[in-house]
Amino acid sequence: MANLTFDALEKSYGGYHAVKGIDLDVRDGEFVALVGPSGCGKSTTLRMIAGLEEISGGEIRIADKRVNDLPPRDRNISMVFQSYALYPHMTVRENMGFTLKIAGCSKAEIDEAALNAARVLEIEPLLDRRPAQLSGGQRQRVAMGRAIVRDPDVFLFDEPLSNLDAKLRGQMRTEIKRLHARLGTTIVYVTHDQVEAMTLADRIVIMKEGRIEQVGTPDQVFNHPATQFVAGFIGSPPMNMVPAKVAGGALWFEDGTELPLPAAFEELSDGHEVIFGLRPDDIYPEGHGLDAGTGDIVNLQLTVDLSEPLGNETLLFIRFAGAEWTARMLNPRNVARGERLNFRIDMARVHLFDAATGCSLGRQ
Amino acid sequence: MKAMRLPPHVMLLLPAVILLAAVILFPLLLSLWSSFTPFRLTRPDSVWQFVGLRNYTRLAGDADFWVAFGRTVLLLTLALNLEMLFGLGLALLVERASRGQRVLRTILMFPMMFSPVLVGFQFKFMFNDNVGLVNNALQSLGLTDQAIPWLIDGKLAFIAILTAEIWSSTAVFAIFILAGLMAMPRDPLEAARVDGCTPWQTFRYVTWPFLMPFAFIAMTIRSLDVARAYDIITIMTDGGPAGRTEVLWTLIARTAYSDARMGIANAMAYVAILLSIAFTAIFFRQLAKARAQVAADW
Amino acid sequence: MDRNASARARKLTSRWALNLALFVAMAIICLPGFWIVLNSLRPTVEIMAKPPIWIPRELNFDAYVAMFSGVGQGGIPVLEYFRNSLIISVTSTIIALAIGMAGGYAFARYRFAYKSSWFLGFMLTRTVPGIALSLPLFFIYARLGIIDTHLGMILVYVALNVPFTIWLIDGFFRQVPRDLSEAAQIDGCTRWQAFWRVEFPLARPGIASAGIFAFLTSWNEFALASQLTRSTGSKTLPVGLLDYTAEFTIDWRGMCALAVVMIIPALLLTYAVQKHLVSGLTSGAIKG
Repeated sequence: MANLTFDALEKSYGGYHAVKGIDLDVRDGEFVALVGPSGCGKSTTLRMIAGLEEISGGEIRIADKRVNDLPPRDRNISMVFQSYALYPHMTVRENMGFTLKIAGCSKAEIDEAALNAARVLEIEPLLDRRPAQLSGGQRQRVAMGRAIVRDPDVFLFDEPLSNLDAKLRGQMRTEIKRLHARLGTTIVYVTHDQVEAMTLADRIVIMKEGRIEQVGTPDQVFNHPATQFVAGFIGSPPMNMVPAKVAGGALWFEDGTELPLPAAFEELSDGHEVIFGLRPDDIYPEGHGLDAGTGDIVNLQLTVDLSEPLGNETLLFIRFAGAEWTARMLNPRNVARGERLNFRIDMARVHLFDAATGCSLGRQ
Repeated sequence: MKAMRLPPHVMLLLPAVILLAAVILFPLLLSLWSSFTPFRLTRPDSVWQFVGLRNYTRLAGDADFWVAFGRTVLLLTLALNLEMLFGLGLALLVERASRGQRVLRTILMFPMMFSPVLVGFQFKFMFNDNVGLVNNALQSLGLTDQAIPWLIDGKLAFIAILTAEIWSSTAVFAIFILAGLMAMPRDPLEAARVDGCTPWQTFRYVTWPFLMPFAFIAMTIRSLDVARAYDIITIMTDGGPAGRTEVLWTLIARTAYSDARMGIANAMAYVAILLSIAFTAIFFRQLAKARAQVAADW
Repeated sequence: MDRNASARARKLTSRWALNLALFVAMAIICLPGFWIVLNSLRPTVEIMAKPPIWIPRELNFDAYVAMFSGVGQGGIPVLEYFRNSLIISVTSTIIALAIGMAGGYAFARYRFAYKSSWFLGFMLTRTVPGIALSLPLFFIYARLGIIDTHLGMILVYVALNVPFTIWLIDGFFRQVPRDLSEAAQIDGCTRWQAFWRVEFPLARPGIASAGIFAFLTSWNEFALASQLTRSTGSKTLPVGLLDYTAEFTIDWRGMCALAVVMIIPALLLTYAVQKHLVSGLTSGAIKG
C-alpha cells in the first residue's frame, strides 16, 4: 500500500495535448475516481500511472518514489482493463497466477494465491475454465482476482464495468466497494459514469479537456460544484441551468422573468451575467418535495409539459423563464399533461456560475 | 547509452530491409544499369559499355516486343476481370448453399494449391490436340470429328492459356469475397429487404459496397504475382509456336537466356517490372479507399 | 393464394437453378485434378487410345513405383528433386518467418512515420516478376559462385516471401488485443516476455499458416528456379517437371504421377491452414 502523487503531470501526442498539468495527492488506502467525458484525459492519466504511456512532463510518485521512467512491471501496480484483458490461452487459475509465475514463485505458492483470490471473489468453481467459457460478470471477477494476486501498492481500474449490463453493473459496484473495504489498497478508478464515481469513491476528480475541474468528496462535488461543468456532470437528471442577469437585487432571465437574488449572492454587482443552476430536487410541486423548510422559498404556478413516472418519484418537465426545467416529484401522484401545479423553488439551494468563466460564484 | 539505441520498430524492420535491399533492390539497380549496356552473357566485358537509351529506343521500334506487351496487358486485363466476376459468382453461390459449406469452401481452395507449373501441365494435357480431354470430349459428343489444334493456333492458344489462368486464380477472389460475405452484418441486409429493395438493389447498394475491400484485397494479392502466368505459359506453349503466344515474360526469358542478349532483356524486364508495379499500386490505392469508406459507413 | 403459390414455385425453381450452377462450378474446379490423378493410374496405351476410353479398364501404381525406384521414368531423378525442394522450401520458410515476424510485429504494434509507404514499398518488392529478377540475380550469383546451389535459392525465396509474410503476420498480431500485452507487462513481464508468453501463443495459428503459405510459394516457384538451378544438385520439383516436357515424346503418365506427388503436400498443408489464411488476410479489411 502506498500513496500516489501527481506533480504537474502532462501528456502530449505529437501536437495533441491530452493532459495539461495535473496535481493530485492520493492518500494511502484512498479510493479516488477519475471521471469525465470521453477525451478528457482520464484514461491517459491512468495509463501513465501504469507505465503504459510515456510521461511528457511533470512527475508521478508512488510511495514517494519517482516512477516516471520505470517500466510497468517495476511499479508494483495492478490494473483491471475495460476489456478485462484476460489471457485467452490460459485457464482462470493460470490467468490469476501469471504474475507470480513471472516473478518465479513455486507452483504451490501460485496455486495457493490463485485459490485465495478465487475465494475472495467466489469464483472457485471456475478455476479450470478458460475466459471464453465465462460470462461477462465472471470475467470481470477473474480480472479483479488477477489484480488481487499481484498484491499491488496501487490498484488501477479502467472503466471496468462499462461492458456489463445494468443489473450486473450495480452488483459489481458493490463488490468492488466491499473489496476495497477488505483490502484497503489505494485505488484509482477511471469511469465516465458519475453514478459509479459517486457511489464508490472517497474522492472524485472531475476532469475536462486534460485539466482537473474539481477534486472533492461525493458530497462536495454534488452540493458545492466548483464549476458549471461539474454541476452539469454530477447528478442525474442533470441540474437545470438557465442564463440570467443580476439587476437591482434580483435575477432577471432572458424572457423577463424575475426571481429574488438568494441571500448568499447578495454581494454580486448589477449587470453580472450568470448561469442560474437548480437541481431537479430543489424545484418540486407543493407537498411533494424535501420541504426542508429553509424559509427561502419561492412559489410559482407552472404548467406541466410532460411527466415521467419512475415509481418512487416522477420527473416533471415544465417551461419556465424561457427554458425547459426538470423537477422531481416525490411521493408522486398522477399528473396530467397541461396540469397547473403550485411549484416551490428552494432559493437557498440555488447555484450561480459566472457566465463568462463557468466558475461557481458561491462560497466553497 | 539509452539515446544511442535505435527505436524498436527500426530494429524489427531492419532484417527485412537489409535482405530485400540485398536480394531485390540491389539486383534491380544492376539490372537498370545493364539495360543501358549492350551486355551479352558471352561477352562479360560488355557490361561496362554504356550506350544510353539505345536498348530502349530499339525496343520502342520493335514490333514483336509491342505485340508481346499488348498481349500481356490484354491477358492480364481479361484474366483479372473474369476472375473477379467468376469469383464473385462462386462466392455468392457457395454462400447461398444451405448444406456442406465447409466442403464447398475446401473445394474452392483446390486450385490455389496447384503450382502454376502444374496448372500449365494440366491444361497442356487437357488441351492436347491428340490425347487431351477437351478434344476427346468434343469428339465423343460428336461436336467435331477433327483434332482442334488448341495450343497451336494463336487465338485458340490464347483462350487455352486464359482458361488455365482463370481456373487457377478464380479461387483467390472467390475465397476473399466469401470471407467478406461471411463477415457481413445481417442487419443492413434485413433492413434493405424490409425497405422493399429487390435482390439486385440489395446487392448493388448494400452487399457490394461492403464486399469491395475484400475484392480489392484479392486483387492486390493477385496483382502481386501476375507474373506467375509466365510459368503456365512456359509449360503450355513457351510463347510459341513461332511467337504466337509470346508475352512479355517469355520474351524476356528467350532474349536473355536463349539469345544471351542480357542488355536488351533487362530493358524489357524493366518495362515488365513497371507494369507489375503499376497494377499493384492501382489496387493498393483502391484497397485503401475502399477500406476507408467501409470504416466510415459501418 | 395464387400469389403465394407462384412466389413459392419461383423460389423453388431458382433454388434448383442455383444448385445446378453450383454443381457445374464445382465440377469444373475438380475435373482437371481428377483427370491428372486418373491418368497417373492408367497404362499409357489407354491414355493414347483412339477413340478415347472413358471408363478405365485397368488401374495400377506402376508410374509411382517407377518414379521412386531410384532414377525415375526417362532418367529423371525425382527423389533428388524432391529432396532439393524440401531443403530449400523448409529453410527459406523458417528464415522468412523469423524476419517476417519481426517486421509484422513492428507494423502491428508501433506507430512510425510513413508507415503505409513502407508497407507498400515492401509489397512492391514482391511484384517484381521472377523472370525479370532472375536476370541480374543470374549474373550476381554467377559472380559469387552461388548459382545452382541451395544457398542461392534459399536467399531469393526468403526475399520473395518476406513481404507477404509481413502482411499476414501483421494481420494476425492486430487480432491480438493490445490490452493483453499491456496486462502482461503490468503483471511483471518485460516487453520481450509479454511477446513470447502472451502475444506469440495467441498469434501462433496465424503465424503457422503464414509459414505454410511461404512454404508453398517456395515449393511451387518456377520462374527463378528454372534459371538459377542447373543440376540435379539443386533443381526443384517444378523445374524437374519440365524435364518431362523437354523430351521428344511426352510420358503423360509419368508426368501425371509426378504432378500428384507435388500436389499432395500442398493439398494437405493448404487444407490445414485455410481458415487462418483467410482471416489473416482480411483482418485489416474492416478495421483498416
